[in-house]
Amino acid sequence: MIELENVTVYYPKAAEPAVKNINLSLEAGEFVCVLGPSGAGKSTMIRTINALQPVSEGTVRVQGESLASMSEAQRRSWRSRTGMIFQHFHLIPRLTVQQNILTGLFGKRSSFVNFAGIFTHAEKKKAREVMAEVGLSQMADRRVESLSGGQKQRVGVARALMQEPDVFLGDEPVASLDPGTARAVFHLLKEVHHKQHLLSLVNVHDVTLAKTFATRVVGLSNGEIIYDGPPAELGEENLETIYGKAIHA
Amino acid sequence: MNWFKKRAWIYVLLLVFFSWWSMGKTEFEWSNFKEFSNAVTFIREQFFPASWEVIPALIDPVLVTLAIAFLGTFFALLIALPFSFAAAKNTAANPLLYYVVRFFLSILRSIPEIVFGLIFVVVLGLGPFPAVFAILLHNIGVLGKLISELVEAADPGPQEAMKSVGAGRRLGNLFSIVPQIWPNVLSHYFYRFEVAIRTSLILGFIGGGGIGQKLINDFNSFNYAAVTVEVMLIMLLVIIVDLFGAFVRKRVI
Ligand SMILES: Nc1ncnc2c1ncn2[C@@H]1O[C@H](COP(=O)(O)OP(=O)(O)OP(=O)(O)O)[C@@H](O)[C@H]1O
Ligand SMILES: [Mg+2]
Repeated sequence: MIELENVTVYYPKAAEPAVKNINLSLEAGEFVCVLGPSGAGKSTMIRTINALQPVSEGTVRVQGESLASMSEAQRRSWRSRTGMIFQHFHLIPRLTVQQNILTGLFGKRSSFVNFAGIFTHAEKKKAREVMAEVGLSQMADRRVESLSGGQKQRVGVARALMQEPDVFLGDEPVASLDPGTARAVFHLLKEVHHKQHLLSLVNVHDVTLAKTFATRVVGLSNGEIIYDGPPAELGEENLETIYGKAIHA
Repeated sequence: MNWFKKRAWIYVLLLVFFSWWSMGKTEFEWSNFKEFSNAVTFIREQFFPASWEVIPALIDPVLVTLAIAFLGTFFALLIALPFSFAAAKNTAANPLLYYVVRFFLSILRSIPEIVFGLIFVVVLGLGPFPAVFAILLHNIGVLGKLISELVEAADPGPQEAMKSVGAGRRLGNLFSIVPQIWPNVLSHYFYRFEVAIRTSLILGFIGGGGIGQKLINDFNSFNYAAVTVEVMLIMLLVIIVDLFGAFVRKRVI
């Protein structure tokens, strides 16, 4: 469904590429966890998939079509089908839970309808369902600043779900949460992943989480893929090559 | 422990020198402060007792001043908001437009209201309308700059989120930035509103209507007891606007 072919990304003025020569083929139903030390290029790689980050070399293809050769409108339409969840949630302050969730529809409707805040019955019903799914039904009218970290990330997940996405992208979605909450959010991700038969690609720092939830693990180090396989086969020596020896210290 | 760098002494010396130089330029004399008691006497003898009976005749001019300040700054805010997005690095549609709008805003800002006022009084005639126009133009420049700085300082996270749901550029910016900066926009607005009240007085001196025009007329005809009342009404107006601004900001935050 998504293919990265020889993808290399240079940031402006950087001597070394942030990711180099990435080849990756991803199919619906996979739950892929991306592991790697800080600066390995995890965020960069994920952001090339919804064209938030343009590639310097190589191609990212979605259902056979290259993102780089799409028009901006087509790329927007693709983004509207990818739900992205961020480490720091990136919710819109001063808006309520429900309002934040409804912004998930922005890519699918005209700017005027969005601006005017016109939502159909079906859309409002969908928002209620999504809120129930992430366990926020009681908080629809709370302002998002007043939520806890775990609740904020539930709003983040709900906003992505509202997009009715084909793909879930997570850039360390649980890195600012405590271990218990992190697991709960991962459970939620996994649940909707199954229910909607999504393709999920999630960066994590926690190897145990990756081993528990992933169907496939991609290990990045210095911008290169150095492991790509099932979590069960991810052994000590693999982790050592991904993270360096420091993991034993 | 040395709290200050050695270089600090150079700055102190420079400041002392610059103060001394400025005092020369402005004929600043400490001995002139002796004359200050004359000012107190002048005020005590000429300005008091205030002639309160002029109040009914001043109600309308006060309201005119309020209207000038409000309309000038509010229309300026409406116009400055979209311009400020074009004048912010992170939201400008293209670099050329960014520089053009910045330049345009800084020109508006660099022309004082009094200059606009003098021109418009000639072109449009005496009265409050040229005053509104003068305040409007200058404040487009001021608010445009201040708001564009808020836009640039806004957290990029929500902007990225809106981009990633596929929202259009303008709508995404609107939703991800305006809620963040709104309380500060209101702060700036109310401050400019308050400044505009004082400005509209000066504009009254050159024929821009309102309480300022009354004040200068009474002053020039030595009717100081009326000036007292006018000054008090102006102070009252500024305080009311200030309190109202504080109230609105509290509601919004
Ligand atoms: N906007 C940017 N401009 C320049 N260099 C960048 C930028 N973003 C990332 N980099 C560099 O690219 C490399 C990869 O960064 P990236 O954020 O993708 O790593 P990461 O694996 O997500 O790290 P972390 O776990 O800390 O989030 C790093 O060397 C980083 O310094
Ligand atoms: Mg990262």
